[in-house]
Amino acid sequence: MTDEKRKHSQGEEPPPFGGSWRTLYAVVLLNLLAFVVLFYLFTRAFR
Amino acid sequence: MRPLDWVVLFAALAGIVAYGLWKGRRTRDLDDFLVADRRQPWHRVALSIMATQASAVTFLATPGQAYADGMRFLQVYLGLPVAMVILSATAVPIYRRLKVYTAYEYLEGRFDLKTRTLAALLFLALRGLSTGVSLYAPSLILSVIMGWDIRVVIFIIGGAVMLYASTGGARAVDNTNFLQFLIIMGGMVVAFLTVVRLLPPDVSFLEAAHVAGKLGRLNAVDFSFDIRNQYNFWSGLLGGCFLALAYFGTDQSQVQRYLSGQSVAQSRLGLLFNGLVKVPMQFFILFIGATVFAFYQFTQPPVFFNPVQAERARVGARGAEFRAIESDYAAAFGEKQRAARGYVEALRAGDAAGAEAAAAGLKAAQEKADGVRAGAVEVLKEFDAKPNDTNYVFLSFVTRYMPAGLVGLVLAAVFFASMSSTASEWSALAATTVVDIQRRLLKPDAAERYYFISSKLATAFWGCFAVAFAQYAGQLGSLVEAVNRLGSLFYGTLLGIFLLGFYFKRVKGTAAFLGALAGEAAVLYCFFFTSIAFLWFNVVGAAVVVLAAHALNPLTRAKPKPANS
Repeated sequence: MTDEKRKHSQGEEPPPFGGSWRTLYAVVLLNLLAFVVLFYLFTRAFR
Repeated sequence: MRPLDWVVLFAALAGIVAYGLWKGRRTRDLDDFLVADRRQPWHRVALSIMATQASAVTFLATPGQAYADGMRFLQVYLGLPVAMVILSATAVPIYRRLKVYTAYEYLEGRFDLKTRTLAALLFLALRGLSTGVSLYAPSLILSVIMGWDIRVVIFIIGGAVMLYASTGGARAVDNTNFLQFLIIMGGMVVAFLTVVRLLPPDVSFLEAAHVAGKLGRLNAVDFSFDIRNQYNFWSGLLGGCFLALAYFGTDQSQVQRYLSGQSVAQSRLGLLFNGLVKVPMQFFILFIGATVFAFYQFTQPPVFFNPVQAERARVGARGAEFRAIESDYAAAFGEKQRAARGYVEALRAGDAAGAEAAAAGLKAAQEKADGVRAGAVEVLKEFDAKPNDTNYVFLSFVTRYMPAGLVGLVLAAVFFASMSSTASEWSALAATTVVDIQRRLLKPDAAERYYFISSKLATAFWGCFAVAFAQYAGQLGSLVEAVNRLGSLFYGTLLGIFLLGFYFKRVKGTAAFLGALAGEAAVLYCFFFTSIAFLWFNVVGAAVVVLAAHALNPLTRAKPKPANS
């Protein structure tokens, strides 16, 4: 294993996009919330 | 199937095996074989994770589930994104920092050897048995639809996977999973577009959707709470989250996928991408099933979608009765079709009262048709104690209505779905066998090349085992069902052990071990003596493990470590 690989696998490097991990976690959870709202509206529209 | 379909199917199968062999040709050491040299970019990690989870039965049963019961099954996946965030933040950095090959290695450092071995053996037993069943189930469906001997289908899937998984290891598995998943989703999109195109020209897609919705097939979420029902928002969010935590955090077939990421960041992104797209993807697959249901409101469906069982009933002792039921079903369908068109016309006229009246008529016609179909199912009980054609709905539609070439593409997608999850399972079973059993317990001091060769042989062994098990699975009857349920009986306990390891630093090995036994006893009690839905077993098992370990921890304190340790 090269030094660079070892450094990468050990490090807490920031995400390659999105700024921080907290932002990406929030995106995933808000995405879920948005889908739940959409599914609710979908269910109501075709009930 | 037409000649073009055979060409497409065999070209796809040969192509994927060649691709797997080519991608795995540079696999030269244990790191390569077990974790793809930890060099996979996040998008390959993500799609390999998704391909592993989505077996062929997922793509066959899910549209069938929407056809028969509506889209409420979607809610089982609502906890998955939450689990992906939790695992990305906690488990991924721990596994990556320790540079483990398997999830169970972590348990020895955190607790002790017996806890690691218990978890590894549990995984080997459960996944070893279930990999045979997961090979058998789609093979049965494909053999019925294609008219092939099931043994041939099992050998094709098993043999193809064995070729690249046992030579190229995780590198070949991750790369083929990636490509297979793209083709699978392409096949599903083509199937969806076909069913939309086949709707009657005088009925719009939206109107057809309203018909399906009025008959209860577009019920994506339900906020009412019932612990005996796993298809509601709360069960899905909490129970589904625990199930996903257990599956993605403790099952080596998934852990191995993100251990192969280039870095902690790439592994995390792979899981987070799954958290972003899994729920809409499941919605889409279920929506295909609901659209097929809408299609069959205007085109007559067979009374039973398994063609082999239907034919047996036609020529069986109660054949005349079955044929009479088929005629009644055709008449009931005619009535239902008229009711559906009446409802569409009322919608188009903007007549709310008329639409409500037409909807009532449509529901009554559906109930009548369902009643006639129930009679056919009764006749089929002569051959099968629990006749169920849910898994045949989608492929029956594909083979009857899709154009030449596209049938071969969708069948290839189903083969790929089976191959991708099977390959991941064999690779994970081999890793656990070699790393947690052979290298740790049986032969600890061999050269790395010895374990590398052993890993190849272990993959081949688990492949042979799965193929052999699948050959006889049909004769095992209820054991197959038992094996399928077995996972849900043990996941909660496994999760509880890992939760103790990750979040409760004071709990020692013996307390964790005893807590695991208590958790398992609680799950088995729920299974045998209560009507709690299975999704909650994971919550119960994990919670009891954590609570019991805490209660027992003061009684099982480890000897104090030396001051300089």
